[in-house]
Amino acid sequence: MALYNETVQVLSNEKVGPRLYLLTVASPRIASDLEPGQFVHMKVPRMEAHILRRPFSVYACDRERGTLDILYQVVGFGTDHMTSLLPGEECELIGPVGAVWNPPLQGRCLLVGGGVGAAPLFMLCEKLVASEAAVDVVLGAQTNDALVCRSRYAQLLGEEPRCATDDGSYGRAGFCTSLVEEALEEAGAAGAQYDYVAVCGPEPLMKIVADIAFKYDVRCEVSMEKRMACGIGACLSCVVDTTEGKKRACVDGPVFDARKAVW
Amino acid sequence: MAVAMQVNLGGLTMKNPVTTASGTFAAGREYSAFVDVSALGAVTTKGVSLHGWEGNASPRIAETPSGMLNSIGLQNPGVDHLKEVELPWLASQGATTIVNVSGHSFGEYVAVIEALEEAPVDAYEVNISCPNVDAGGMTIGTDPASVTEVVQRCREATERPLIVKLTPNVTDITEIARAAEAAGADALSLINTLMGMAIDAERRKPLLARVVGGFSGPAVKPVALRLVWECHKAVKIPLLGMGGIASGVDAVEFMLAGATAVAVGTANFYNPTATVEVIAGIADYCERHGVSDVNELIGALEC
Repeated sequence: MALYNETVQVLSNEKVGPRLYLLTVASPRIASDLEPGQFVHMKVPRMEAHILRRPFSVYACDRERGTLDILYQVVGFGTDHMTSLLPGEECELIGPVGAVWNPPLQGRCLLVGGGVGAAPLFMLCEKLVASEAAVDVVLGAQTNDALVCRSRYAQLLGEEPRCATDDGSYGRAGFCTSLVEEALEEAGAAGAQYDYVAVCGPEPLMKIVADIAFKYDVRCEVSMEKRMACGIGACLSCVVDTTEGKKRACVDGPVFDARKAVW
Repeated sequence: MAVAMQVNLGGLTMKNPVTTASGTFAAGREYSAFVDVSALGAVTTKGVSLHGWEGNASPRIAETPSGMLNSIGLQNPGVDHLKEVELPWLASQGATTIVNVSGHSFGEYVAVIEALEEAPVDAYEVNISCPNVDAGGMTIGTDPASVTEVVQRCREATERPLIVKLTPNVTDITEIARAAEAAGADALSLINTLMGMAIDAERRKPLLARVVGGFSGPAVKPVALRLVWECHKAVKIPLLGMGGIASGVDAVEFMLAGATAVAVGTANFYNPTATVEVIAGIADYCERHGVSDVNELIGALEC
């Protein structure tokens, strides 16, 4: 698969929730090739002494317009600086990088997104909706304001995704893991167990969801995020421990079979 | 005006003075979407040990002002994998190849070289300077007697050009440089990373799992230039200079300080075409300054 280092133009960069921003860039070459689960490695302009690129998952990809949507959360200097990007500015993106989600294209799938982890599952959801698979979505966030992907999922699915918020301001109060447990329990009781769970979010959440999936004997994939330097498999900075030894999150992942993850 | 770009690094002919710093370019394949590896003076491969190492715990890197720290720990799959997979690929691309040789013991360095003597390798770089391993690496490169022994033993194992990579984490690098030269090194490469650390004060935790790591990137260039300059005055064998090179002018600075060739390292991480841009930048500098042969730059600092 082709790998590009593309100079891309910022089209918009807007606040969509607490510390949450939606960046849209014109990136026609990467947009034409990127598959669900893959990410881009961004050189942000005007970063001066902060020399490294930052990896970002892709929320949505419009192949016809050649655009990528990136949902990011302000967590440090780099993402804070990114909020100052203006339409018309240029960034450099390496992409598409990494391994893709491997869902069954028929049967039942459950997608679980915690916080900004809702974004990297959206393209997978689009793929499943277009396939013969049935797909359900569980989203979790700290507050209703932070459930910024909910409406797009609702539009795509034709129904509301199941949601939980830590403070109870929308959906179930508490962690979304209880919704996952219920979904698998109900599906099993009805004799229509899920065939696949995909989860993206904080590592503790992914581990809990993977454990629930194992309990019901459902295949599960997770998407790992690590500090990264090159983003293309050379530097060995971003390794994760697996049952097959250390693997690179950037090109061996970011999507891994949860059975192989060593948490 | 065409600039003559070929240099000779201790018996290794390079079509231009630019190679990659070991560990920043894997064995080239990962960069093949961005760089024609045969266009480089050489590809220097990631450090390789006899049977492979797992490397250190994560997190392994941290960004610092104009630089970064790493504590990868020479993770590698072993010399057989290099020989069977990576070296044939480099040969098929027409690359000039320098293999960075690592070991936990003197005997392991020799065993790695012996395993590669029939393989398509153009030169060896003996890594006695990695700060991220508990045995071998920098523990050898900070002691002149150990340097003498390991270089002598590697020298006996091969007639190929032998480059010895030095650590900056010593009181007097010229003492180490002279020991390597006297023991039979054909060239010296410098600098490996500087020992450093970074702290998250909010959590009272180190940013690296191993606490300390190797510091690299543009921030280290002044230190690297000074050490290349000192070694240039201290030894007769040619030098492969590196430390924060990101442009052709950076590379020229190293050559003026006494380097015959240069390596691009950390810059590869944020600019995957850094190597070819440095080559073009050196040629451009030479044209602007009426330099017809890049060799005229070596040690040509006026002071």
